[in-house]
Amino acid sequence: MADIELRRLVIRAYHMDDVQFGDENKITTDGKMTITKDGLDALAGKYSEVIEKIDIQIIKPGDHDRYTNTIMDIIPISVKVLGKCGEGTTHTITGVYVMPTGVDVNGEQAHEFGSSEGNLKDMLYLNRAGTPADDDFIISFDITFKKGMGQERYAIIDAYRMVEEWMNTFRAQLKKFEGSKATEKHEYYDRIREGQKKVLVIKEMIAHGAMLDTWIFPDQPCGVEGGKSLIDYGAMPVMLTPNEFRDGAIKAMN
Amino acid sequence: MGVGPSTKETSLHHFRDPLVKLLGEDPGIDLMGVLVFGSPEGNEEKIRCSRTAAVVAECCRPDGVIVETDGWGNLDVDYVNCVNEIGERGIPVAGLNWSGTAGTFVVESPYLDNVVDFNKNPEGIESNIVGENNYTEDDVKECIKKLKIAMLKKERGLK
Repeated sequence: MADIELRRLVIRAYHMDDVQFGDENKITTDGKMTITKDGLDALAGKYSEVIEKIDIQIIKPGDHDRYTNTIMDIIPISVKVLGKCGEGTTHTITGVYVMPTGVDVNGEQAHEFGSSEGNLKDMLYLNRAGTPADDDFIISFDITFKKGMGQERYAIIDAYRMVEEWMNTFRAQLKKFEGSKATEKHEYYDRIREGQKKVLVIKEMIAHGAMLDTWIFPDQPCGVEGGKSLIDYGAMPVMLTPNEFRDGAIKAMN
Repeated sequence: MGVGPSTKETSLHHFRDPLVKLLGEDPGIDLMGVLVFGSPEGNEEKIRCSRTAAVVAECCRPDGVIVETDGWGNLDVDYVNCVNEIGERGIPVAGLNWSGTAGTFVVESPYLDNVVDFNKNPEGIESNIVGENNYTEDDVKECIKKLKIAMLKKERGLK
């Protein structure tokens, strides 16, 4: 029997070969990314009730023999170009991932159960689905919280909003990238494979509180804005199509 | 996301999830969807949410279900209850779960035989290494194999 295609999602990837500090936050289709620290103080200032300051380090592939504060998440820079979550077109950057780290002004790590601060080469297992590969750049987005704020749920949420606000500069450019310049193009389908074994996936995700939280359906892939915590859904089951899942409908709020 | 640094799944993990990837690519599987439920703190809520997930599964009439979580310890309460409720409904079930030596199930069920332990830490503990105890494509292949055998057994009336 033929497959019935319900909807198609195209994810175009644009690979960054080089990431450096420069005069502006910029990405190009020929694989160059520049980052500026200008504006970081102003961004932190917007969240001054919970955030003391932010800094950025560009970590080159293999340059992992260095101290890191606790790793809060690994986030791809992705943006919806056409259509709703799970259909249409999404652009994503490969070769570089955003790694927010968190500590408060007194050196208290932003963690719940176990903290990953230490030498980065020992604290990050590379080449997993959820971690950068050997040859990827990492943008360490280093957040210093106000005293005690690394343990407060609202402060963690604010921190992720701030990271997203910073990523939005790149998203706006990525959204306009020409389709033909993509380094990879993936097509995914929600489809009915008639006559084949019907399989349902169930994922239990934590919904306890600060750093033990999961958000779903953000406006942008792996984003925060527009999303909602599973806690606000009373932790009750929510059904996603495979394509919605593939399109960044889940944001870990570690 | 999960409990400690080594088991918790990052946003990037969800974006590139090996389970959804391999199930979607398998020509012998009609992937219905991904049902997400939260693991709350209270025990009563845990039982209600995980049972409701099994109820939704039953209403979808699947041939088989894969239950996954990146949590352990108190998250086993909901996890095992969900697997158990699906098993009791006569639906073949397999799973992915981190156990190692430190996170073995704190509750029991006769339906846990097809749950793959995706521990990667040499000592079987929750480490502080981000990504270490995450499931990989190899774990997913093992889990899909177990589910396919369970579905075949049901089809042929075997135990």
